[in-house]
Amino acid sequence: MTENSKPQKSRITFISRAAPYGQNKANLCLDMALASAVFEQDVNYIFFGDGVYQILKGQDGSAIESKTLGNALETLELYGIEKIYADRQSLEERDISEPELLPGMQIVDSDSIAKMIESSDTVFNL
Amino acid sequence: MTCLHTISKSPDTQLLESCLKIIASGDAILFIEDGSYYANSARKLEAIDKTCKIYGLREDMLARAILTRAADSVELIDTARFVKLCCDHDKIVSWF
Repeated sequence: MTENSKPQKSRITFISRAAPYGQNKANLCLDMALASAVFEQDVNYIFFGDGVYQILKGQDGSAIESKTLGNALETLELYGIEKIYADRQSLEERDISEPELLPGMQIVDSDSIAKMIESSDTVFNL
Repeated sequence: MTCLHTISKSPDTQLLESCLKIIASGDAILFIEDGSYYANSARKLEAIDKTCKIYGLREDMLARAILTRAADSVELIDTARFVKLCCDHDKIVSWF
């Protein structure tokens, strides 16, 4: 058996469930995903529950002297994370429709999310 | 005697539901921080007694892109008015 010197590529799914600004969970989850992407891991990023509030268009963190999280999310694509999803039911419960979301989000059902979790090596749920 | 109830976490926490169990008529409710998201769920606000005024802090809603989605029953206020509300009520009860 030979030693494999290449770093192993694993599939990592991040489930971001926190609303932006009130606590730093949303930022922490994003930081972890970006770090994973830098190491060329295969990343899924899912907005679930209150997490869907992170992807509402028209946020303005300057009103409360914070960074606007919506802008930070645009870095996901810069770091090569293209599999970005939002849970349909979470959006419906909050009366949020697709045109109100930042671009690049794929709306998926809970079944698909369950499958993503199943096919992942690691899941971060924050 | 009136109380100002401030709610500062999202509806997932059920804070409003707890608050409504013990609120007195004539009290006021103010949504701040992540509590702002309550303004996005008009249905939950219907359970509030009509004698209770409902306020939302404009800055917190603006940051969260909730300002334009706020229910009509929520009166939007600035921080100066927040301070005035604190003075106008005998007590402040924080829900967090």
